[in-house]
Amino acid sequence: MRTYVVGSGVTKVDRHYERNYLSLINEAVNKALADSGLDISDIEYLVVSSAFTDSILNQVDPSTYIAQNLGFRKTRALTVSSGEVSGAVALDYAHALIRSGKARKVLVVGFEKMSEYPSWIINRVYSKILEHEIEGIKNVSPPEYAAMIMQEYVRRYGVSREDIVKWSIKMHENAVKNPYAQLQFNISLDLLNRALRISEPITMLDSHPIGDGAAALLVTDESITKKMNGALIEVVDIESSVNLPIYLRDDITYFSSTAAAYKKISSKNEIRLDKTVAVNVYDTYDIYGLLIIEALEICGRGEALKCLDEMPYLNIGGGLKARGHPVGATPLYQVHELRELMSGSSWVKYDGEISLAHSMSGPDNNAWLILLRRWV
Amino acid sequence: MKHSISIFWRLKDNHYKIYVTKCRDCGKAAAFKRLRCPHCGSQNVEHLESRGLGELINYTVSYYRTEGSEQYLPRVVGLVRLDEGPVIVGEITDVDPNELSASTRVEAVLRKYSSDDPNGLIYYGLKFIPIIKR
Repeated sequence: MRTYVVGSGVTKVDRHYERNYLSLINEAVNKALADSGLDISDIEYLVVSSAFTDSILNQVDPSTYIAQNLGFRKTRALTVSSGEVSGAVALDYAHALIRSGKARKVLVVGFEKMSEYPSWIINRVYSKILEHEIEGIKNVSPPEYAAMIMQEYVRRYGVSREDIVKWSIKMHENAVKNPYAQLQFNISLDLLNRALRISEPITMLDSHPIGDGAAALLVTDESITKKMNGALIEVVDIESSVNLPIYLRDDITYFSSTAAAYKKISSKNEIRLDKTVAVNVYDTYDIYGLLIIEALEICGRGEALKCLDEMPYLNIGGGLKARGHPVGATPLYQVHELRELMSGSSWVKYDGEISLAHSMSGPDNNAWLILLRRWV
Repeated sequence: MKHSISIFWRLKDNHYKIYVTKCRDCGKAAAFKRLRCPHCGSQNVEHLESRGLGELINYTVSYYRTEGSEQYLPRVVGLVRLDEGPVIVGEITDVDPNELSASTRVEAVLRKYSSDDPNGLIYYGLKFIPIIKR
């Protein structure tokens, strides 16, 4: 059995103070259903992904309450929570259901409500992606690792700290063309000195914003796609790998779990990425974006900055930096953007046969790759 | 953040002391007491107490405000290579960041991590300070 994404929908990433998670999810689900031509009663499984609902919304297993409130009367429902890669894991679960023949129509829904509390409370929640018993209890936070990694990259490869902001500038340029991006404005290097410091040298210009969002993907087997016209987007494979914590790594500027996952998925599927292949990667911080495209072997070690201008299909939605990062939904936003690109409804034309979504929890602690292929 | 007495009591060896897990099979070492070697998965490990001395190899001055951290900002967080070999993450305290550099010799000291409210439980644990010459 092959798995296809036959419908997708997202909300604008924003601080949706006036809407609850059910409202955001309903919008994304309605768009995905309308896109696919299927009805809510067709759905066999509802797979929900979210990272922080227990901490932020005081709600465990939101899938039950999404099903109860949004009219999924006969659907099997479950929640997947795996830090910042929750959405990729949820899609992997759906992929396995389809591939095994256990289900034919699965709705994958990801969401996060990150703006329900002031940022210092949300920052504490977000820091739970690190290991509590070692890092969390000492108040070590994700941007502090990003700061040390950036410093090591600058020292090792002789690039300037200012050069690294080129990544963020490119992401904002893409987000301006993405109607559901959170930060739809351009930035320039001269903002760097005035940007709010997070953890030296990481500033607001280097980091993703806090925002809410929901995304839905409708995945089916080929029995459904036989009746459909136009390009079909297949989920070919999903792979992952786990890294050691930052303080145990020999080289903190090499994302080896991303590299290991890429080696698995590229050898199994006989594909190779280059600068012309559409990729959507987890630039939680701009320096991470650079390390990811190096680990994916698109650019040599220390050379990512030289590649940026040669990668027209890099994070076309603006990346986490500017589209935003509604954590449990982010990998599904990535797949939605790639599906739009490959089916010809994005702002840029793409002729490539494959594309890849990369997500990770923390600084490459757990990296996941989703390989998509277009069938015409 | 609400504090748990039992969780912290169990963690006392990793926060009131520093242990190094050394693998008898692959020979590698890792900071903290661990059930298995994180490098090769072997359970054939021994736990050695560190002297708490090392060298700062990377650090950042952080303004990242998290619930409960307000009174400590800005704070310095760094990676310290222990004299026994492994690297450990921790806070560098009692120091002017301008006087720090990667390669500064540091030693572990007991300091306050956090409390769950002004009158609540307090977690203490090890941070690092530049070595005081005696």
